[in-house]
Amino acid sequence: MSVQEKIHQTVTGNPVVLYMKGTPQFPQCGFSATVVQIMKLCGVQNYVSVNVLADPEVREGIKQYGNWPTIPQLYVSGDLVGGCDIVREMFQTGELQKLLEQVSTATSSPPA
Amino acid sequence: MVTPGSIEASIRAGIACEYCEVSGDGQHFEAIIVSAQFRGLTRLKQHQLVFAALGDRMRSEIHALSMRTLAPEEWSA
Repeated sequence: MSVQEKIHQTVTGNPVVLYMKGTPQFPQCGFSATVVQIMKLCGVQNYVSVNVLADPEVREGIKQYGNWPTIPQLYVSGDLVGGCDIVREMFQTGELQKLLEQVSTATSSPPA
Repeated sequence: MVTPGSIEASIRAGIACEYCEVSGDGQHFEAIIVSAQFRGLTRLKQHQLVFAALGDRMRSEIHALSMRTLAPEEWSA
């Protein structure tokens, strides 16, 4: 399976996926830490996080996949929502909470 | 070292800006960009336009770019 296929499987197979540097417990970049914090404030607990620092192929691959050159990247229902700026802006306007509520009913299964 | 001015030049070369201001310390940059090309686009698409203007520079030189993208109407509002 190619990296692109692997990424596609991850983002389409899980309602909420965060590609980040580090882990939610130990973010290794301020921007990733911000998005983790926002997810917490939104009450989203069972999202899938992928540490791009642990896999150079995924780190490069996700930039192509999302047509987005930076990390973090948040995916909801298979679609790229955005990076830190957009996530923060959507959180401030309440758009993000709405989007996450829509998928939260479907997020009963633990991450694969 | 990457200067805010050189980032601004790259953005202006790729996008017709009504206003563009970049500040930063050589590692992290912040940009405010106003362009008619942003009209009707989602924030995601707006940011992708800016990233496209910066091209490979986003990969090699620029670690982080925080941006606010606005259509002219949003800017004057």
